Amino acid sequence: MQWLISLETENDPIPACRLLNIFRRKGVKIGTFNLAAGAHGFSVMAVVDTPEADVDHIFNFLRRGEGIRHVTYYRHLQSEEASFVFIDSSADSSVVARFTQSFPESKIVFAGNGKYLFEVLREKGAAKFVPDFDKAGFLPFARVKTTHPHSRTELVGASAQ
Amino acid sequence: MVKWLNGSEILLESLRREKVEVMFGLPGGAVLPLYDAMYSAGIRHLLVRHEQAAGFAADGYARATGKPGVCLVTSGPGATNVITALTSAMMDSIPIVVLTGQVPASVIGKDAFQEADTIGITLPCTKQSFMANSAAELPEIIHRAFRAAVSGRPGPVLVDLPKSVLMEKAEPIFPSRPIDERPERPREWNHDDIARAAEMILESRNAVLYVGGGVIASEASREIRELAELTHIPVTTTLMALGAFPSRHPLSLGMLGMHGSYATNQSLCHSDLLVAVGARFDDRITGRVKDFCTLAKKIQIDVDPSEINKNVRVDHALVGDAREILQALIAELKRQAQQGNSSAPSARQEWLLRIEAWRAEHPLTYDKYSAAVKPEFVLETISKCTEEHAIISVDVGQHQMWAAQFCSFTHPRTWLSSSGLGAMGYGFPAAMGAQMAFPNRQVIAIVGDGGFQMTLNDLATVVQYHVPVKIAIINNRSLGMVRQWQEIFFEKRYCDIDLNFAPDFVKLAESYGIRASRVEHRTDVVDAVRDFLSDREPRLIDFWVDPAENVYPIVPPGASLAEMVVEPPRVLVEEESLDDLWAV
Repeated sequence: MQWLISLETENDPIPACRLLNIFRRKGVKIGTFNLAAGAHGFSVMAVVDTPEADVDHIFNFLRRGEGIRHVTYYRHLQSEEASFVFIDSSADSSVVARFTQSFPESKIVFAGNGKYLFEVLREKGAAKFVPDFDKAGFLPFARVKTTHPHSRTELVGASAQ
Repeated sequence: MVKWLNGSEILLESLRREKVEVMFGLPGGAVLPLYDAMYSAGIRHLLVRHEQAAGFAADGYARATGKPGVCLVTSGPGATNVITALTSAMMDSIPIVVLTGQVPASVIGKDAFQEADTIGITLPCTKQSFMANSAAELPEIIHRAFRAAVSGRPGPVLVDLPKSVLMEKAEPIFPSRPIDERPERPREWNHDDIARAAEMILESRNAVLYVGGGVIASEASREIRELAELTHIPVTTTLMALGAFPSRHPLSLGMLGMHGSYATNQSLCHSDLLVAVGARFDDRITGRVKDFCTLAKKIQIDVDPSEINKNVRVDHALVGDAREILQALIAELKRQAQQGNSSAPSARQEWLLRIEAWRAEHPLTYDKYSAAVKPEFVLETISKCTEEHAIISVDVGQHQMWAAQFCSFTHPRTWLSSSGLGAMGYGFPAAMGAQMAFPNRQVIAIVGDGGFQMTLNDLATVVQYHVPVKIAIINNRSLGMVRQWQEIFFEKRYCDIDLNFAPDFVKLAESYGIRASRVEHRTDVVDAVRDFLSDREPRLIDFWVDPAENVYPIVPPGASLAEMVVEPPRVLVEEESLDDLWAV
């Protein structure tokens, strides 16, 4: 099962190193790993393939760690419940422009090295986001858990807690 | 006006502000500026003979006091020698702060003399690590290091100190200390969560309180006792939590798991509710996980959210400080009692009687008619002869399990054991650390002949600094636990467990100036122990115990708790019972 894990850290790259070390020890298959440096810290985004129990444990392990501001994980979901889209524009740089034209209200959650995570915002009553971007480079996700205090948490699937 | 100080002076002032009274360490090139500043700093320093002992001593200090233990080592080999102590502290959630020297900043990464990537090497065995890049940032780093060590789930923190940082001058700004210095702990529960836990407790009939090291870390022993007495629920403690609940309390079940008693493990197998407090369901506790407490609903209380559902799925979880949660739970149960909804003693009477029956069926015992010196008898004797607040520090192996089974504990922080990592060589230096914290208390290191040979070079340290640690060697001339497993699980194919080639521990101790004796006859045990504990000097006693003795009960690897092997076959011989020796 595919998951997207995002991490915001303080100005010390150690939590990113810890995350990579966990991936290596647990044998997590890494699809994409991105690290972006900002003025006040680092943002990490990884798309991985691992069982749900593992990703939930990684989430809890990270969120109790030092030097970590926020952790979120998302589940790949090929349905209209998905409200986040991961875009890899390395093969076709026009995909981002096409996406933002289709969903102008969307908000960038992460951007770095040609990889983007958008939150698809919709006005009330507007049609639901339909992930018809069944092309390479687009992956729809739904947020499962986050430590962001004001974010809506969407529990996906019965076993997600 | 702020005074200019060098990095070493800033560091020492920062440590003083954290109320550090003693450090355990060993100097070397990279930390020479710091040792130079320590010449007149007023913080006690124990020069150990190996850095691993510095780490274990800091750990023993921390377990005995609840305050972070501090150790100071040089770069390269100094830092790598402390890895085992860091890993043990990480596994057992013990707050230690390890200060490591580092080569000057200008040569980091250039394979300088005694350079090691300490931050990289210690990444998985530290809760947090800091690389000091300037002297000016040291006050903030040290403050954060000490907070990190004790906050949330406690653990080891490392600060890497390049020599250039220790030497450069800066105008330090020391962070102000908060008025409330209690460790920060998450609070992810509300009244509804407490009410649900209370409801589950009230609905249960065959409940067990499963208490782990988190109870000691959060100073929640009093609350555990209050909860147990309020609800009449029996209490089992993990190896980490010995002392969190009085061993002789009528509701005490003692230790559970691989070497837990028959009654304890049976009660887990038949329980309808398990309340885990600060415990992590590790493999030595659960046996075969899928068969662990299958009849029981489970409540898990833990400060670390990553422990919830990690090994065993639970029905209800409360994430936060154990003491706060227990206080809220007790208040809720009392409120319910006022409304006539309570756990009357009669409700659990049947359950407690069943446990008593299991206890009578297979009590925790040993062959008291044996002619040999039985290690269990030695440990029982030590326990009976110690003062109430004595601290017992153990190594790892058979003697550790016998001590856990046969010593009694009344108070928390009186049992020191490298439990999760199981690091041999821990017992003696950890005792040294605890003794430095409490110079007037009885501190006894109970060690095996195998583990003691790993850190016995610090006999010099206890003599040099007049540390009155008592060392009891449970000497079976072998790596006993390995021998036991080879005997039971590997068809007696004994391989590399023979420790007959060992020094004469009595002569060795005497060569350091320590009074020492050997006990080879069972009738000498009681008098020898009384004499051993009678003064305030470092002493060593070498008990030559039955080399064939095994630890029972045992849950074989991969088996469930219900499949435990209770006792070995008995051969009866005509000897006076060991119980009779107490009459002397």
